[in-house]
Order: sequence, then structure tokens, then C-alpha cells
Amino acid sequence: MNQIINNAHKQNASINKPFNLRLSWNLIGLMPAYLVMFFLMIIPLGIIFYVSMMTSDPYGGYEAIFSLESYQQILFTYDWDDNLNLNFQYLIIIARTLLLASATAIICLLISFPVAYFISRQSNSTKALLLYLITLPFWVSMVIRVYAWVLILSNDGVLESSLTFLGLTSGMDSLLYNNNAMLVGMVYSYIPLMILPIYASIEKLDARLTEAASDLYSTRLSTLTKIILPLCKPGIVAGFILVFVPCLGTVLEPMLLGGGKTMMMGNLIQNQFSIARNWSFGASLAVVLLIIVMLFLMWNARKSSRPIVEGSAV
Amino acid sequence: MKFAKSTLAGLTALSLSFSVSAAEKLNIYTWSESIDPSLIEKFEQETGIQVTLDGYTSNEDLLAKLKSGSSDYDLVMPSQHFVKIMIQEDLLKNINAKSLAAFKNLDPRWKGQWWDPNDEYSIAFAYGTASFAFNTNEYSGPGNSWKEFFEPEESLKGKIAAFSTPDEIIPAAQAYLGIDFCSEDSNEMKRVYQLLKKQKPYVAVYSSDNISSRLAGGEVAMHSWWDGDTMRARKDNKAPIIYAQPLEGLIGWLDALVVPKGSRNTENAKTFINWISQEANATTQYNYYGHSSGFIINARNAKHKPNNSPEIFPEVRVKFTQACSPVAQKLVDKVWTQLLL
Repeated sequence: MNQIINNAHKQNASINKPFNLRLSWNLIGLMPAYLVMFFLMIIPLGIIFYVSMMTSDPYGGYEAIFSLESYQQILFTYDWDDNLNLNFQYLIIIARTLLLASATAIICLLISFPVAYFISRQSNSTKALLLYLITLPFWVSMVIRVYAWVLILSNDGVLESSLTFLGLTSGMDSLLYNNNAMLVGMVYSYIPLMILPIYASIEKLDARLTEAASDLYSTRLSTLTKIILPLCKPGIVAGFILVFVPCLGTVLEPMLLGGGKTMMMGNLIQNQFSIARNWSFGASLAVVLLIIVMLFLMWNARKSSRPIVEGSAV
Repeated sequence: MKFAKSTLAGLTALSLSFSVSAAEKLNIYTWSESIDPSLIEKFEQETGIQVTLDGYTSNEDLLAKLKSGSSDYDLVMPSQHFVKIMIQEDLLKNINAKSLAAFKNLDPRWKGQWWDPNDEYSIAFAYGTASFAFNTNEYSGPGNSWKEFFEPEESLKGKIAAFSTPDEIIPAAQAYLGIDFCSEDSNEMKRVYQLLKKQKPYVAVYSSDNISSRLAGGEVAMHSWWDGDTMRARKDNKAPIIYAQPLEGLIGWLDALVVPKGSRNTENAKTFINWISQEANATTQYNYYGHSSGFIINARNAKHKPNNSPEIFPEVRVKFTQACSPVAQKLVDKVWTQLLL
């Protein structure tokens, strides 16, 4: 009892402190975080915005002359006779990127959920080992892991020679340099980011709930859809975001496995800074990509915050 | 007193050694696998300068790095047209190349050239050509026209690979179509675009690295490639590869040693340039790299001779790429961007 009064007293004291003093202490205490945000996020983003609104120098770099031409270029391009035309070519690239990222995230989800569920049902030591194996690829450079797929899928590669050895195929076409190869590489690269959050949410699942469900004659399917999936939704959503967002900016897989023929957002932006030497356009594309990601995250944040609001209202 | 003296001496020595270790560094950024590693080792032993080596696979990458202003390189190796652009864009240090010992070892052909007319910034290092090479198990040739590459026969669908940058592909297409390099005529460049667009279904991959394994392994039958690299794959790996010599002309390049503006070890860079220009070292480098040397080499010790190296002693004409005007450059970029969409 005494303790509670004491605590209440302390709280009162802190509330009664002069407002300004508290504010300044908060500000100073949080300063490191503010500085990190300012220098590592606000400033670089500011530079990207700035460059996107300047004129690009044909030999790379930019000239400090204000121009919105790079934004115009996303929708309108000059054809070979120098007429300005509405052109959806860049929007197609954006759509293609969104499609590929969604496909990757969905395939990752379909594989990850059973895997995560399986892991969560193992003994503690097996669990630790399996989780360790899933995080293991993170210790190897991404470039090398994607290159490994080049060796697997290439002509006379691991896959073809094994299939030929088993007598399943003979002289099949190369599996490299197409959209499927790209998708395989992306699913492989990002799947651990999906398994881990789903595993974390399944792990927290109260086993008594599924027991209760089966006691109440729930079928296995309805236990899954009515109990397990809704409770694991936060993990699924987190995993989906963790896979979907980096997929939007992926560069390696389209380059190494896709053959550099099918443009994705990431490659398109990268090319503007190297081959095409159009920094302003590259920056404006980066801004567009950023806005897409922000809209997606905001939509998701609003969606996931709604049940809580409803809950508190009740 | 004596103690104080020796301490002082020790401290001085220590501070000296610190300053020495801080100064004796050289950051080189060159074409991947271009400099003989044994030469780098020898250079480090002889001069005590610590070399850090970094590689790129396109002039565009190099230009973007230098333009960003954040690079910390002391010696880089752009091709001739990029030397000119970099001088124009004020990215290079004037090292008064004429006064260097290396200048005397330079093949006289590469003095006072258009990319550096007063020999202030650059020293020619190696030169060669770009063309396409083919795997004889997959394609029988003859390999004497760009037509085989740009308008290939039906059986080569999905079996061709081209460089990932327009730098040498577009000049090759221009040579084939009989259009001048760096054309400012958008109708001519439209024809270049149409040619490349028609070729695209035949192209499996646009890439400038790992060419050797892709071509020798049969992943593709035909690949854009450079002369010396093709020769190395043929000689060192016994790969069944032939370097095509199109009658329309090979695309010439010359890589020169230059010092970027931001270099902090300029003296070490000059030391390296002078050192690698010495006949014995230049010859070792020539034997390793397989591209023609910009320096005078010892013909007796040279491994690659006209009779065993048709790749680097071409019989067709060679057209060197040029530094394009902004108008022409924009057209080149347009062709390439449209092509890869």
C-alpha cells in the first residue's frame, strides 16, 4: 500500500515539474536518435529530392538549374521524331516490379507458413538448430548466394546434370535468364525474412486454443482458418512487408538471373546513375519508388491499427 | 639525459614510421583482373608502397564513381574517350605526363593523341579491340561480319550475349550500318535502335562480366568480347573460341593511366606509372593481360606474337570510339534505355 502511494507521489512530482525543463530533458535525451534520423535519413532523402528537381548533366552529375523534366519523363517521352508522347513504358516497369514483388511475397508466404509451423512443433534443441540453419545464409554475401543460383540453373549446371543423371531429361534448354529464374532467386533470397516473423507469432500461439477447438469438434481446416491464421496475422503481415519492400528495389536477381533484359525499378534507377547518366531522372524514379513504399506501409499501418481502435471503443 | 635522448629518438622514429605507413599507400581502380597480381606484389616489395586494388567492368561505372566525388582512388584506367570526357569535366589531376619517366617508354604512336593533346593527364597503358567471339561447338562461323552478331541466324535465338553497356555495342552497330560514331542525327540513331531491338530476342543476357565461363560453358554461342580476353580463354583454358574479325571494322579502345582529382597519394601513383612502364615489367604485364601494351616491350620475351595471336594482331581495320557531344550522347542513352525497357 505504502509502495503504491509512494509511486503515485513520484508520478505526481514528475508531472508537476516545470513543463519546459521536462521538454528540454526529453529533447537532449533523445538527441542521438534525432541526429541519426536527421543525418542518415532526412539529409540523404533531401539530396535525392533536390537532385530529382535539377537538370541532369549528359556526362553524369547534375546542374543546379531547376527543372521538373525528370518527373515529366516518367509519363511523357520524346519519340524518334522529337514529338512528346504519353508513354506508359516506365509505368509498365513499375507495375511489373509490383507484380514480381507480390508474387515473391505470396510464394514466400505459402512456403514459410508450413515451415514455420513445423519448426514450432519441434523439441527445443531441434528448433534452435532449424532456426540457426534458416539464418545461416545471412552470413554469406548476397552476391555469392545469387551467383550460386547461376551455377545451379545454368547449362550443364547442378540442376540439369542431376536431372540428366536421373534420366529425367536430356538436353533441356537453359533455365537461366528469364522471369522464372529471377523469381526463384528472389524467393530464395528473401524467404528467411518471412519465416522468422511467422515463426515468432506461431511460437506465441497458445496450444490450449487449438486443443479447445478440437474438443469443440472443429475440423482441422477450420482450426487453421479460424484460430491459427487470425492469431498469426501480425507475423504474416510483418513477413509480407519484410519481403515485399526490399523486392521492390531488387537489383541483383534481375541482373544475374534475369539476364539484364527485363527491367525492374531497381535496375532502372541504377542504370540512370551509371549507363544512362541521367541522375535527375534516377532520383525522380527513386522518389516515386519511395512514395509507393510509403503509401503501402501507411495503408498497412492504418489497416492493422483499426482493430485496436475498435477494441478500445468497445 | 641519455635516456631522454634515446626516448626522443625512439619517439621520432616511431612518429616517422607512422607517417611513412600513412603515406605509402596507393588505391588503384582498374578494369577487373587487368593488372598481373605478381607485378603488384613485386611493386609492393620494391617500393614499400601498399597497393589496394579494386575493379570495374565499364567506363560508365568509373565515371559515375568519380562524378559522385566520394571515391578515394589514386590511379584509374578509363578508355580514351572517357579520358577526354573526364578532362573536360575537370575530374583528373594534371600530372604533367610528358615529364614522367614513363613517357619515354611510351609507344610513340600514343603520344599527343586527341584525348590528351598536350600529354598532361594520361599515359597509355593498353589497347585493343572489341568484337564478338563464338564457341565453335555451337556456331561454325565464319565470323567476318557484324551481320552474324546483329542479325543472327535463327538457330542462335537465345544463344547470344552482349555487353551490358552501350559503350561498344552502339559503335559496333554504327560500323555495321555505315553510320558515323557519335552521330547527332536522330534518324540514323533510330536505325541503330531498330537493329538492336530486332536483335534482342536472340540475346540471352546483357552482361560484361563472367564472359569466359558463359561462352566456354556453352550457355551462349556468341558473346561480345575483347581481343585479349578471348585470346587468354583460348590459350589458358583451351576453350574452343574464335574471335570474330568483322570486315566492317573492329571497335578500338585504349585504356590510359590517369590520376583522379581527389587523389591523396599522387606521388605514389606516378611512381607506379613509371615502374610499370619499365620494359621488363611492361613485358610481364603484356604476357599476363594479353592486350597490346601502350609501352615499348621486349619483343624477345613477349609471349603473344603475330603468328600465335591473331586476336591482338587484327587484319581488318580498327575504328576507335570517340567522345560524343552531349547531343550524340543523349541519343546513345535513348537507344539503350528504349532497348532495355
